[in-house]
Amino acid sequence: MTGPMLAQEMGVSRRLMPMPAIPAPGLLIGGAIGLALAAMLGLVGAGLAHEHIASAQRLVPPGTLDHPLGTDQLGRDVLARTLEGFRWSLAVVVPATAIAALVGTTLGLAAAANGGWTRTILESCAETAAGFPFFILAAPIIALAGRGYGPLLVALAILSSAPFALAVFESTWGGRYPIPVTPAFHAVRTALPVVSAFILADLVVAEACLSFLGVGASASAPSWGNMLADAQQTVAAAPWLLYVPATALLLTVVSANWFGEGLGQIWTPTVGSPQETWRFREDPGSSGPIR
Amino acid sequence: MGLQAHTESAAPKAASGLILMLFIKPISRQTAVVAVLRNNHLTRIRRSTTARWRPATPSGQVVAPPIDAGSKLVSVEARRWEGDRHGLGARVGMRLAYRAVQLAAVLVTAATLLFVLVRVSSSPAALLAGAGASQAQIRAARLGYGLDGPILNQYVTFMVRGLRLDFGWSPVHQALALELVRQRLPATLVLSACVLALTGLVAVSLGVWLGLRAGRPEHGWAFRLLLTGQSLPALAVGLVLFQVFGLTPASAAGSPLRFSLSVLTLTWWLVPRVARFTAGTVAAAAHQSWVLTARAMGATSRELLWSHVLPNSLLVALALAGVQVAFLLSSTVVVEWLFGWPGLGELLAGSLRTGDFPVVEATVFMIAIVVFAVYAAVDLALAAVDPRVRKAPSPAAV
Amino acid sequence: MSTPVAEVLRLSELRVQFPDARGRWIARLDGISLAVERGEAVAIVGEPGSGKTLVAMSVLGLIPPRGHVSGSIRLLGHELVGLVEPEWWRVRGRDVAMVFADARHSLNPIRRVGSQIEEAVERHYEGFPHALTRRWVRERALEALAEAGVARPRVRFNDYPHQLVGDLRQRVMIALAGANKPPLYIADEPTAGITDSVRAQVMLHMLRRLLNTAALLLMTRDPSTAAAVCKRVAVIHAGRIVETGAADRIVTAPRHPYTAEQLGVAPVTDATAVNPIRPGCAFAARCPNAMEQCRRLRPPLEPLDDRLVACWNPWGGDA
Repeated sequence: MTGPMLAQEMGVSRRLMPMPAIPAPGLLIGGAIGLALAAMLGLVGAGLAHEHIASAQRLVPPGTLDHPLGTDQLGRDVLARTLEGFRWSLAVVVPATAIAALVGTTLGLAAAANGGWTRTILESCAETAAGFPFFILAAPIIALAGRGYGPLLVALAILSSAPFALAVFESTWGGRYPIPVTPAFHAVRTALPVVSAFILADLVVAEACLSFLGVGASASAPSWGNMLADAQQTVAAAPWLLYVPATALLLTVVSANWFGEGLGQIWTPTVGSPQETWRFREDPGSSGPIR
Repeated sequence: MGLQAHTESAAPKAASGLILMLFIKPISRQTAVVAVLRNNHLTRIRRSTTARWRPATPSGQVVAPPIDAGSKLVSVEARRWEGDRHGLGARVGMRLAYRAVQLAAVLVTAATLLFVLVRVSSSPAALLAGAGASQAQIRAARLGYGLDGPILNQYVTFMVRGLRLDFGWSPVHQALALELVRQRLPATLVLSACVLALTGLVAVSLGVWLGLRAGRPEHGWAFRLLLTGQSLPALAVGLVLFQVFGLTPASAAGSPLRFSLSVLTLTWWLVPRVARFTAGTVAAAAHQSWVLTARAMGATSRELLWSHVLPNSLLVALALAGVQVAFLLSSTVVVEWLFGWPGLGELLAGSLRTGDFPVVEATVFMIAIVVFAVYAAVDLALAAVDPRVRKAPSPAAV
Repeated sequence: MSTPVAEVLRLSELRVQFPDARGRWIARLDGISLAVERGEAVAIVGEPGSGKTLVAMSVLGLIPPRGHVSGSIRLLGHELVGLVEPEWWRVRGRDVAMVFADARHSLNPIRRVGSQIEEAVERHYEGFPHALTRRWVRERALEALAEAGVARPRVRFNDYPHQLVGDLRQRVMIALAGANKPPLYIADEPTAGITDSVRAQVMLHMLRRLLNTAALLLMTRDPSTAAAVCKRVAVIHAGRIVETGAADRIVTAPRHPYTAEQLGVAPVTDATAVNPIRPGCAFAARCPNAMEQCRRLRPPLEPLDDRLVACWNPWGGDA
């Protein structure tokens, strides 16, 4: 943190330093592989036999041939349920992201295309909505509308469209500059996939948390949140009930984040990445390095 | 004579200038302003609302300075930009007003959404009274919310009740919803404060360390590690801790162990985010031109870090941190429920499960207020530290 | 006081090399030799990318470590090539100071202007700190502001950088550089942020006043600015000095084709063409006077009439 290292990095004329090429695409490839894996597992899970409640085989630890990952309190096979969880989560989250992207992009483009008061109002709305934790609103809405697939989908979709609007707007207008920085289509092309990946990850987590709290998926749906909530009851006796869905959740979320970050490093340098240090915005009055 | 003499005499002169401006007639006020300007002692003059302020040259034009005027060159245009045109704090005031408007918008939207959902449900009165309410309470709710009248009146009643913070009675807890929320708030604040303190320590150090190494190999894998750490949901981490420490749902609810684990989980959630953007701001600040200037004037690395890089970067990081704190609240809900910490989050989660509508409404309102209070506090802190927010904007590049 | 060292700066065969993406060394400064004496102003003129800023950076020791500096830089007789960073901390700001081009962002925006100048003074304060040191430092900072032509320095002292107009900011940069009265000033495009020609004249006048006590090395892309301030001019292209001599002579009668092109008297050909064969003259690809020899053999800097020119086929002249 001191002398020699600072001396190396400071006072460098950017023209003299070679720009790093596309970085090691580890994040991008890893993320893509993870997401593809999750999708495949979801499809595979759909083909497996439905879980059946067999009271004679409750809380079987993993290792047996019949139930490689054990069974839960009601005798359902954990592996089958987890695989179904992939399908269930992706079936909720992917359409929600798509709807949010559609709605958000439309609003963002509308805000960017108009001027004056319309733009100010739309931008302020998007900023307010994006700054407010949507989870706090989603939970009561679903609780009132009833648990299940429909309300969950709608709530998640509507409440996460603000980041899209904001991302599209900022890509087009660069935040503060009085002229558009990039044409709308290019802005949408670069901003959309990155933001989608991150929103996807956030929504997977949000869905799991909502189901965990009991206001997301219906009680019998194979959501990981439900499985985690059940696991909490018997966590001392049956830890596998916790770790299997947690690992599945982790896989999906980490993949989506890696994918988004990898994509973003190529198209829009994000905070802290090597590209960011060489492409920082020089205007000190700007909104800062984060995009 | 040192600078001390000047600063001591400036205040009385400023005061006399203001007094002149306030108590003398408009024409004389203009003269007074001009006279004060000519004295060249004031740096800030509040623009009088009635006196029309003119530049202090006779013709009102900008005079180009002669080339050979030696060291007495006067930059006349600079004088035009003197002073705080909008008054000290006006910009900060506008910012705070904007936060209040945002809060109002969120509250209105949330209340409207809740109202719509309640209204379309099968038994709005029962819902509004809360689960487990007696028949008498349901009838009281029907009357209190005006559910027999036209829908617009119902909406207005609902809104007005929210405005008066009259959220009703909770049948589950047998207490006023507002009271419950007020009792639970300190617990959440304590939890958040501990999390923020711990995060500040860990994440800022980590971020500074990482930011100063931007472009070097260790930056890459540390960055990826942080990203992966950030991707672990607080729920999963909390449950793992739950299992590792052998807790059961039934064991002691407010114990120190549970509190520490809650703090640990939330810190784990927050640290990678804060470290990442701190690293970004530090890396950006290290490449700013003024750092090069200071270095070219012989600043040591330590001076560069502490006087030039860190203050500027932490300023930006503070602005970004506000958003993270707001989102910390949503994770707090889950973590409090998980560990049974009796705060606002646990109240919200519990009342959602039991269908206790008054408490739900009250909690949502309170959380919204907290969120925007945090944003407003961050705005104030930024204004206090960053002179570009406080002072009048500079002219366009000349 | 009669100082035996009249020569403030001497660059001898200064070569700065950087490795490119494939690891080969590219010489961005290729054998620069220059001398600046006390009370003298020397300008280095060249297009962007020719290496002017690199010369300034190497005199200040701000070349990044992946760059390799060879040759000799003698400041007041002391060798600067090979200094380590802590030694540089004593040289920068005290024996040589730089006035940067873009003053808009060259000052820390959250600190007052005066305190930044005070910091520079205090850093090089020689003597045991005592009770009156702070006052002395502040007086010196105010003095520096006054010397730079800032009106009402006590008022400007408490301003923030964003409250200052363009040329006032530039004066503050000059004040910052002059805080410790260094014997050598390096000014990198000092009029770049000023659009009004009147104020530019004022700025240059200010720089001329520095020559009463110190030497000035001015980097600019405009030969007429150079001629307005400096007596001697060195024209640099692609890291090499191609012509050097008296400013008024060079500006009125350039002998190197590149100088002629910069002054507008020679046709401007494809500006991006660079002769890839390094041993040859770097200007050969776009030179109107180019011969076959120019591409293969690098012309040495030789006396021609009243100046030094590096060209096999000089511009103008009698033939």
